[in-house]
Amino acid sequence: MLLASPVGVTGLGLLTLMLFLALFGPLIAPYDPTLPSGKPFEQPSSAHLLGTNDVGQDILSELIVGTRVSLLIGFSAAAGAILIGTLVGLVAGYSGGWLDGALMRLVDVMLVLPFIPLMIVVAAYLGPSTGNLIAAIMLVIWARPARVIRSGVLALRGATYVEGARALGASDFHILFRHILPGVLPIAVSQFILVASGSILIEASLSFLGLGDPVRKSWGSILYYAQIRGAFLNGSWPWWVVPPGVMITLAVLGFALTGRALEGYLFPRLRKG
Amino acid sequence: MLNRLGQYLLVLLVAVTVNFFLPRAMPGSPLQFLAGDEVATLSPEQRQAILQRAGLDQPLLVQFLRYLGQLARGDLGYSYQENRPVRSILLERLPWTLLLTATALLLSSLFGVIVGALAAWRRGGMLDNTTLAGSIALDAVPTFWLGMMLVAIFAVQLQIFPVFGARTAWANYQGWSAVVDVTRHLVLPATTLTIASLSGTYLVMRYAMLAVLGEDYIRTARAKGMAERQVLYKHALRNAILPVFTVFMLNLGTLVGGAAVIETVFSYPGVGRLLFESATNRDYPLLQGAFFLVTLSVLLFNLLADLLYPLVDPRVRGSHG
Repeated sequence: MLLASPVGVTGLGLLTLMLFLALFGPLIAPYDPTLPSGKPFEQPSSAHLLGTNDVGQDILSELIVGTRVSLLIGFSAAAGAILIGTLVGLVAGYSGGWLDGALMRLVDVMLVLPFIPLMIVVAAYLGPSTGNLIAAIMLVIWARPARVIRSGVLALRGATYVEGARALGASDFHILFRHILPGVLPIAVSQFILVASGSILIEASLSFLGLGDPVRKSWGSILYYAQIRGAFLNGSWPWWVVPPGVMITLAVLGFALTGRALEGYLFPRLRKG
Repeated sequence: MLNRLGQYLLVLLVAVTVNFFLPRAMPGSPLQFLAGDEVATLSPEQRQAILQRAGLDQPLLVQFLRYLGQLARGDLGYSYQENRPVRSILLERLPWTLLLTATALLLSSLFGVIVGALAAWRRGGMLDNTTLAGSIALDAVPTFWLGMMLVAIFAVQLQIFPVFGARTAWANYQGWSAVVDVTRHLVLPATTLTIASLSGTYLVMRYAMLAVLGEDYIRTARAKGMAERQVLYKHALRNAILPVFTVFMLNLGTLVGGAAVIETVFSYPGVGRLLFESATNRDYPLLQGAFFLVTLSVLLFNLLADLLYPLVDPRVRGSHG
C-alpha cells in the first residue's frame, strides 16, 4: 500500500523521524534548552554542535525539543479543525436546505478573511500562548476540509444503502453516524494529513512573528529570536537560522508526501499526472 | 452578483465585529484597549475625548452603530503613539505594499505560466518531472525562512543587496538614483514572494494545459497539419490561460495582507509590517485600522475579479448572475 510508492516511503520515513524526535526529544537532547549551558553566541564546537544562542542555550537541544512543540501545535490544530470540518460537512451535506446554505456561506466567509492578519489581531488581544495559537489556527483552517467532506456526504446521501436504511425507518442520527460517517472517514483522514502540514507551516509563521509561547519554543520561535537578536549581524546564521528552517521543511514535506500517497491509495481516481 | 455582494458585506461585517467587540470583551480598562499603551501619558482631557468618542456610557448597540458611522466616513481613529490619524499612516504605507506584492504577483504569474505550459507540452519529460517535484518541495519551505536565507546569502555574505527597508535612510536620493535605490531594496523581498507564489500558478497552468491538450480542437488542428508551434500559441496557450487568470485575480485579493510575514523579515515599510508593529506596540487603533484596510482590499479585489471575469471568459456571461 503506502510503502509501494517512493513518495509514500519518503513521507512516512520523515514522519517517523519527526515522531521519534517529538516523543523522545528531551531524552536525546544534550542539554536542557530552557537553561543556559554555555556562553552567549558560542560557535559550534564538540560541546555545542550547533553553538549557543543569545542567552547561552544550546541550539541543537532547542531544535530537538522544539520538535514536540511544533508537532503538538500542528497536530492539535489539525485534529480540532478536522473535527469541526467533519461535523459541519456532515450536517451541511446531509441536511441540505437553509442550514446547508448558511453553513456553506460561513465557510465562504472564513476562506475570504485574510487569516494571518486576523491572527495577528486576535493574538494581540489574547496574548501569546500555546493554547491561543492552537485555537487561532484551528479556527481558520476548518473551512476547507468542511467543504471537501460535505461534497463526500452529498455523494453518499443518494447511495442505495443509505436509501435502504432510510426505507427501513432508520433515524437521521443513525444514518448519519453509522452509514455516512464511515463513508467519509477516508476523506477526513487524508484531509487531516494535508491540514496538519499546513498548520505546521502556519504555526511556524506565527511563532516567527513572536506570537508563540516564549517559554516553550517551537522551530518558528527559534527563528524569531534569531531574527531579533542579530543572527545576521554576528554571523551565527549558518547554525542558528538554517537548521530550524530545514526541520520545518522536512516535517511539512513528511506530511505532504504521506498525504499525497494516501490520497492516491484511497482515491485512485484522483491520481493524475 | 447580488449574492456575491452580500457575501462580501458579510465578511466586512465579521472584520468590523472583530475590531469592535474583541477589545470590549477584554478584561481591564477599555480605555487601554481603545487608546493602546499610551494611556498613562494622556491628559485627563484626552481621556475624556476618547471615552466621548467611543461613547462607552451608551448601550453597546448605539456604540456599534456609532463606530460603523465613523468607518463609513473614512474615520479610522487616532494613533496616540504616533500622534496622528490612523488613516494618514495607512496611506503612507499602502504604496510600498502594493509595489512589493504587485511586482511579485506579476513575476510569479509570468514564470508560472511559461514553465507550466512548457512542462505540460512535454508531459513526463525532464522539465516536467523536475518542476513538478520542485513545486512540491517548494510548498514545504516556510516563506519567511526562504526570505531569511536570501538575506543571509545575498545581503550578508555577498553584500549585493541591502538587508532591510525600502530606501536608504538619510540618503535623500533624487530622480534616477532614487529609482535604483528603491529597486535594489525591492529585489530580495519581491524574489521571496515570487518564489513563494510560483508553484500555485505553475500547477494551475500545467493542469489547465494538460486538459486543453486533450481537447478535440487540438487534435483537429494537428490533424489538419498545423505546425506544432502554432498549435501551442494559437490554440492551447490561449485557452489554458483562463484558469490562471482566475488564480491571478484571487491572489490580487491577498495583495495587501499577504505579505505581512515577508515585510517583517525585510523590515519593509508596508501595511503588513505595520500590522505586526502595531500589535507589538499595543497601538490598538492603528492595529484595527490596518486590519480593516487589509480586509477591505481583499473584498475590493475579489469584487474586481467578479466584474472582470465575464469580460475575459464569454462562457460565464449571463450565467454568472
